[in-house]
Amino acid sequence: MTRTPRLTSDTAACCWIPLFALRCETARRPELAALPLALLAPDDTRRLWQVAPLARRAGVKPGMTVSQAIGLCPALKLCEPDPVHYDEQFARLVAALVTVSPVVEPVELGRVFVGTDGLEGLYGGAEEIVEAIKRGTRNAECGTEMESSLDCSAFPLPRSAFRVGWGRGKFVSWVAATRAKPGEAVIVPVGGEAKFLASQRLAVLPLDPDTHRRLLQLGVKTLGALVALPEEAVVSQFGRAGRRLWRLAAGLVSEPVVGRVVPEPIVAALTFFTPVGDRDLLAHALDKLVDRALGDPRRSGWRVQVVRVHAELEHGASWLVAATLKDPAATRERIAAPLKTQLERSPPAGAVERLVVEFTAFAPGTAELQLFARDAGAAARAGRRRALQSAAREIALRIRRPMLYHVIEVQPWSRLPERRYALIDFEP
Amino acid sequence: MRNGTDRLRALNAPQRVRVELDEQRRPRVVKREAGNEKRVESFGENWRMDDEWWRQPIVRRYVEVVLEGGGRVVLFEDLMTGEWFAQMPA
Repeated sequence: MTRTPRLTSDTAACCWIPLFALRCETARRPELAALPLALLAPDDTRRLWQVAPLARRAGVKPGMTVSQAIGLCPALKLCEPDPVHYDEQFARLVAALVTVSPVVEPVELGRVFVGTDGLEGLYGGAEEIVEAIKRGTRNAECGTEMESSLDCSAFPLPRSAFRVGWGRGKFVSWVAATRAKPGEAVIVPVGGEAKFLASQRLAVLPLDPDTHRRLLQLGVKTLGALVALPEEAVVSQFGRAGRRLWRLAAGLVSEPVVGRVVPEPIVAALTFFTPVGDRDLLAHALDKLVDRALGDPRRSGWRVQVVRVHAELEHGASWLVAATLKDPAATRERIAAPLKTQLERSPPAGAVERLVVEFTAFAPGTAELQLFARDAGAAARAGRRRALQSAAREIALRIRRPMLYHVIEVQPWSRLPERRYALIDFEP
Repeated sequence: MRNGTDRLRALNAPQRVRVELDEQRRPRVVKREAGNEKRVESFGENWRMDDEWWRQPIVRRYVEVVLEGGGRVVLFEDLMTGEWFAQMPA
């Protein structure tokens, strides 16, 4: 029985890109950067999800209804969310970080912990490790370790958006990242956690609103003030959650970063009863083998980047083709397509006795089975959205002007019918 | 209703129409901008709406009608300007 190695790290670097989804949109359409922009919530298009600083200045806040927001900021530019795109961009960021450390733990869009135990030998101290992380994300696409230009980045976001915090445990590194200026890093030396945390505001703790309000009413505004209270008194007021909060605030809790093990190559093979030379039959067998390999539980949460097919031919000869997918995929069609093209272009020189499909490299997360929504419902929604986007692009190509709209509620209670609903351009 | 960036457009925006009224000041014939003209065959509910008196008052007299051919439409007269508009029924 093989034992799954456990990838953990006590020291952590938290890489944080606030408003990740919104920044993905402005990176994709730079003309939006100068506008008061807001993203609609993926699960409720009546409400706002992320709001750009320009719109915030006009009083627009996340969670507001569209009508409230338009009332406050008539020039507000609303954007349909594209969760699949954000997920793909985030997967690229995670993949870039994996080149720096094998211990990488994505938490939410735009926030990922990197385990840094043992990296000292490679890079040096904490400052050098943080630099290596920044360099890794910048250079992932260039394939170089040299200092590169701004536009040469693992993901098309401005480098100034990236904040890094380093410390012992995930909580300390996260708080440090929230304190970092855009494009910079805050490093909390080991042993200095309590001193660093003491001055931080209460809001950095994972508090529910009621506990937050009660603590403020007690005059507790910083973690230092919380730690100044006896631990048992906090426990008697807030129970087990109170103990955890007190210990977090005191820097006594150090939750390690837990990485995921990249799957070993996944292999699916088929031995034919009689050697097969018919290409249609081989293509069909290829589909079945890709399906079988995709169904391997080790593949869950990973997209396939490199796939190889090899065949044992009659009379001892062999045949081999490989494909590297530019966009890692987790669907049979997208994985099998380049293989079938190669099968047509350079078919095996003889009849095939045994056909083997092998997934040899993977990328984290999948568009079809998203990093942060691994349930079947979310996967189905992502699939439908992708199909819709593809159809919308086709229509736009044919008629050359936007003709697809999304209906959103503006003032459904209004006595004026024309104010109840509005159309927003559907831009895939 | 459109916002400053021309992104939001109102659904069911009123379409300006010309109407001929009968002696009870009810629409008898409805002429759309495009030129086609339809007689009113029957009347449904009618109501009046006063809104937003605190800024730009909106005063409308609505009447629900069935046009020849069976189309159901809501007409309203903007009592501030005297213009008539058609809208789809809610």
